[in-house]
Amino acid sequence: MSPIHHAGRELDSAAGMTIFDYADSLSVRVPTSCGRSGECHECIVEVRSGMEGLTPPTESERFLRGGYRLACQAAVAEVDADVEFAVLRRQPRILTRSVRRRTAPAPLTERRGSGVYFGEERVDAYRDGIYGLAVDVGTTTVALNVVDLERAEVVHTASFENPQRFGGSDVMHRISYDGGEHSGELRRVMLSAINFEVGEVCRRLGIHRRRIYEAVFVGNSTMRDIVFGVDVQSIGEKPYKSLTEVELEAGERSTTALEVRARDLDLRIFPGANVYSPPLVGCHVGSDVTADLMAVGMNEQDDAVMLVDVGTNTEVVVGNRLRMMAASCPAGPAFEGGAITYGMPGYDGAVEAVGLSEDGAPVRYETIGGAPAEGICGSGLVDLLSELRRTGRMNELGAFNDGAGEFYFAPDRDMYVSRADLSALAQAKSANFCGQWIVLRRYGITPEEVSRLYLAGGFANYVDAGHAVSIGFIANVPEERVAKVGNASLEGATIMLTSGRAREAAEELVRRIEHVELETAPDFFDIFVEGCMFKPMQMPRASTGAAAP
Amino acid sequence: MEAHLPETPYMTTQHAGLEKEIRYVTKPFEVKHIRSLFEGTDPIMHEIAFNLISGDQVEVDRLTREALARGFEANAVLDDGLIAGMAVVGIKFRDNIIFVPEVLIAARAMKAGMAYIEPILSESGVEPVGTVIMGTVKGDLHDIGKNLCIMMLRGAGFVVHDLGVDTKPEEFIDAVLEHGAQVLGMSALLTTTMPNMGRAIEAFEAEGLREEVSIMVGGAPVTQEFAEDMGADGYGKDAIACVDMARALVGVRDGSAPLETAAGAREASS
Ligand code: B1M
Repeated sequence: MSPIHHAGRELDSAAGMTIFDYADSLSVRVPTSCGRSGECHECIVEVRSGMEGLTPPTESERFLRGGYRLACQAAVAEVDADVEFAVLRRQPRILTRSVRRRTAPAPLTERRGSGVYFGEERVDAYRDGIYGLAVDVGTTTVALNVVDLERAEVVHTASFENPQRFGGSDVMHRISYDGGEHSGELRRVMLSAINFEVGEVCRRLGIHRRRIYEAVFVGNSTMRDIVFGVDVQSIGEKPYKSLTEVELEAGERSTTALEVRARDLDLRIFPGANVYSPPLVGCHVGSDVTADLMAVGMNEQDDAVMLVDVGTNTEVVVGNRLRMMAASCPAGPAFEGGAITYGMPGYDGAVEAVGLSEDGAPVRYETIGGAPAEGICGSGLVDLLSELRRTGRMNELGAFNDGAGEFYFAPDRDMYVSRADLSALAQAKSANFCGQWIVLRRYGITPEEVSRLYLAGGFANYVDAGHAVSIGFIANVPEERVAKVGNASLEGATIMLTSGRAREAAEELVRRIEHVELETAPDFFDIFVEGCMFKPMQMPRASTGAAAP
Repeated sequence: MEAHLPETPYMTTQHAGLEKEIRYVTKPFEVKHIRSLFEGTDPIMHEIAFNLISGDQVEVDRLTREALARGFEANAVLDDGLIAGMAVVGIKFRDNIIFVPEVLIAARAMKAGMAYIEPILSESGVEPVGTVIMGTVKGDLHDIGKNLCIMMLRGAGFVVHDLGVDTKPEEFIDAVLEHGAQVLGMSALLTTTMPNMGRAIEAFEAEGLREEVSIMVGGAPVTQEFAEDMGADGYGKDAIACVDMARALVGVRDGSAPLETAAGAREASS
């Protein structure tokens, strides 16, 4: 008889037992809200091996692809198969911390006497508090804040892995999935997951979910529109516009911001709660970037600043409160665990910092949580690349100077980066490089003229800025001007949750942003090749100037 | 690295750097082919090829101008310098000796040389291995990978007509008819534009032209399985696989072994 594995622990398998049963025996919490009937689609697990030893997918699992199953449906059929499963991780380290910007609250939902008012409308009798929900729906992770609206204070922050992963790891795959026979499924699992998390948080805080009277959602155009049930097919095709943007251009709506009632979304908070999402910047640059800009106070910046929100799609905005340019750079997931032999997201056990020495002393590395190394995450990769260059082990093109095919960053765990990995990292790095370079050039300034570089999102908060500059991952802005702002999108959403004025400011702001299509740079190829090299960005002064293409 | 290199049977050129590069080519028929490219050509061609392989665009730029000033034909500089160098790059890439960034700097160097050559290029007398139409499909603007394929195809002796990006099915059809191409190559980099390859193939079927041309597809999201599903004749996972596929496709058509065809054509031209 073969064992069934989860996170390094194992149990003997017995025919007929579901993965959910095993999870129970191992005391692993798997979310569910339908009594394990296959209806809620919350208990998605990844089957890492032994799929052939499980019962075939049931009717309720038809929406899942690849190595994913519902824990309540998949049962052991073949006791000899070695089954390993993993619950979608609920607590990634990234994304919850952010800058706190002091903004004067101007809440839309207020207590007046014995009533709860949304603007002029009395929505409920006041009971025991007024809460709000801010959600940042990322392609990889979802983060949320529960806010006490009476005190304008965040009372709880939570994050969990985006459960839509079975629909592909990037937005284009999700769009294709949503256009197929299981249309609507992505929205459904997302709302189930949010409802589940809100339930958990409320239980912990001892508040009723109906006391949440307002919500603000931000996300890239695809993620946001999926949540609101807006057809996303137009975002997948040229010219990559949200339906709301298409309607705005046709004069059918006045903003790409969305506003609905919670009951229309199946969001289980106060049913009449107002659910708002700020306007999109344009194309793939969504309302998460609008929120970023509010978090860094773009509406008050007089000098030119730059915001880089690092992710599978990195967003770049350059400008001041009067004039801004934005672009989305398709980096791909290489720095977030995708396509790299030992790559992984920033979970426990990920190598997050690496130091090398010239004299052949062993590699020094640190992992998140101090756990044994399981892989390497973005900040670790940036350190590694920079150190390989600094110590003369690797040339600009990602070839090892000793002719080796790989470099062991965790020799004790037999983990290495290969030349193919470095090639994938070079291309992802280059996409980040191209976006910054082209937007800076269009705007007509050099990195030295950027008064502040705000690094937001994902692993950027943990990255060594000097190392990131040394390999050209970010523009060579003097290090003291680099400010890490963590999950600025969630912070911006929270600001807009607590202030109607901030929403107006956001509307104003997006109208001043020009969207730059990177493909329109006639010399894209040359910039991309330059960006593939691991060296600091060198922007010739002569190449800038507002008139340049 | 040096230790892995086999003994060289003979020297084709006086260029130590280029000789070292040539020694990365190990398959006997390829060694024969690559050496034939450099046999008896002027040392400046060896200089050009070597600098292209090293990705030195400044040197390739300078040497191309120098060769033209010394009276070499544009075609000779292209075939004996740039394309001969690219042939080595292709093999090193396929054999995992170099990776995309190194191929890209070589391509950039090639572009630098082409800037002088393209405007004065005349119809070359050499019998091409085959004619290929290449383009990125409708809705898709990615062309870096496709352009690498084109360079390598040209390096292997194909005549390639590049339709650029965002190419509609009708444009593929018109180009195939106009140039009497044996092969059509389509590239797509987006999950959402990949189905446009299948649509283009359907358009050929609808026009009753599917039998006229062999169709190959490629690009990051494309797999062998997708290629078969959409009814393509071939799939290439990278630029060099694209060349091998094109050879196989034209080879099948004229009945000769695909790789011999390419090598044979090169030899006939030198
Ligand atoms: C005929 O036979 C054949 C045979 C083999 C063939 C072949 C044909 N064609 C290619 N091959 C093969 O041979 C080549 C050499 O070995 C290989 O070619 P490749 O093209 O794979 O490799 C090249 C040598 C180098 N690689 C590349 O050129 C692609 C690199 C990445 C970074 C990339 C780039 C550069 C760009 N992009 Co784009 N872009 C990404 C890429 C992410 C990544 N890290 O790889 C990708 C492809 N982009 C993506 C996206 C989403 C987008 N992009 C967009 C735009 C762009 C730029 C304009 C900025 C630029 C392209 C510029 C240009 N002139 O090509 C947008 C769409 C624009 C459009 N209409 O096409 C936009 C929608 C993003 C946006 N926010 O607007 C993603 C697609 C995801 C998906 N699942 O569909 C992406 C994977 C990044 C990601 N994960 O997010 C093989 O595939």
